[in-house]
Amino acid sequence: MQPLTGSSELLLMLLADARLPTAGHTQSAGLEPAVRDGLTDVPGYFRTRLTSVTRVEAATAVVALHHLRQDRPLSPVEAAWAARTPSSAMRRTSRAQGKALLRLVHRIWPDAAATATVSDLAAPGRALVLAGIAASTGLSPASLARIVAYDDVQTVASAALKLLPLDPADVACWVHDVLPLAEALAADVAGLTEPSSIPAAGAPQLEAWAEAHAHTTRRLFSA
Amino acid sequence: MRRFAFNGVPCSDRALRIGVCGPVGTGKSSIIALLCRELSAPLELAVVTNDIYTDEDARMLRAAGVLDPDRIRAVETGACPHTAIRDDISANLIAVEELEGDYTGLDVVLIESGGDNLTATFSPALVDVQIFVLDIAGGGDVARKGGPGIERADLLVVNKTDLAPYVGVDRDQMVADAEAARSGRPVIALSRLDTASVAELTGWVRHQLEHHRSGELVPQDPGPMAPHSHAHDDRVHSH
Repeated sequence: MQPLTGSSELLLMLLADARLPTAGHTQSAGLEPAVRDGLTDVPGYFRTRLTSVTRVEAATAVVALHHLRQDRPLSPVEAAWAARTPSSAMRRTSRAQGKALLRLVHRIWPDAAATATVSDLAAPGRALVLAGIAASTGLSPASLARIVAYDDVQTVASAALKLLPLDPADVACWVHDVLPLAEALAADVAGLTEPSSIPAAGAPQLEAWAEAHAHTTRRLFSA
Repeated sequence: MRRFAFNGVPCSDRALRIGVCGPVGTGKSSIIALLCRELSAPLELAVVTNDIYTDEDARMLRAAGVLDPDRIRAVETGACPHTAIRDDISANLIAVEELEGDYTGLDVVLIESGGDNLTATFSPALVDVQIFVLDIAGGGDVARKGGPGIERADLLVVNKTDLAPYVGVDRDQMVADAEAARSGRPVIALSRLDTASVAELTGWVRHQLEHHRSGELVPQDPGPMAPHSHAHDDRVHSH
């Protein structure tokens, strides 16, 4: 199949669509253990993630895209991401999501060189696989970062409707209202090129929740 | 016609993937435990469970001691059991492929859907054959209600037939209703206390495995819609 050209907007819609079969329905972006621990402020949770773990993911994707375009090895980018993702449960989740996405990518773009490079890593996280898609299809760094940010927000939002007594229209309003922050995140990280410039924004409470969730025997969502 | 996986390997070389679905409490886990107990000596088995809210089913199977616990993997479905077996099968497929990678020479992987409603069926991209499970205690009228799984799953099991006298259900009538709804497709009236019915079930599995190994098995989709015939002609339309 030919890479899609001339309409990165449609490609973005495809990648951001929850109906894309990449097991997105199994994810709550850490919201489930947070709710179990008493969290109810979903918009605050969006913002916390966008300024911490999601910022790391988006920056990783952008730097990986630069490395793919410059034909530089990806392993330093992956190492930088792993060093900034201290929770092994979070790394495992990102790699599981990367695996599901890579599986689909091989079907949609079977001949893409960039995704082959990403596949050479033992277990690429989701940000690296998204970078491979962007490199294969001509997406800009800012678009790539927007996808990472938007997907995280919507993952939280759809899980929130299952976990908390909310009006779905309220949640859609919250998503809309946080879009400027997602846009600002994309603008901040879009120019990054070096692994050392990936922000190291720790979020110990999110990490503790992720670790606790990995060990519970009662859960709706994988993570 | 021989089927091939995306990587070019013939499907008949990998394990037979059997889906088990049906409403909550009809005995899906018990049937899987039964199959493991009966078949884990002659065959290499593994199980993927799709619990709704706990890993209860996976733990129950592990505790039953009928299979190496590592061969039983639980997949979370984010409260969407139907999605996980039909419109986004990625999590289940990855679990199946990881089991096939960890245990070479698997004969059968059993995939247990989270209990869902009467419209849930597996995607033919996830399983080769599927079993739909009802139980006597769920009411004698359920088989008559029909639906894609009841009417067109590869096998319909009417489970817990030994309970019929206690719940006021006419077992023979329920089985007859099920057979009438299925146009000749197989129905097994199962009780774990009835060894003949257990042998019928294991025989069906072994037959499907032979069919799969020969390369002749082509997954049949029970589909979401009931085919219906128009009064004016004899053809059956499937929409």
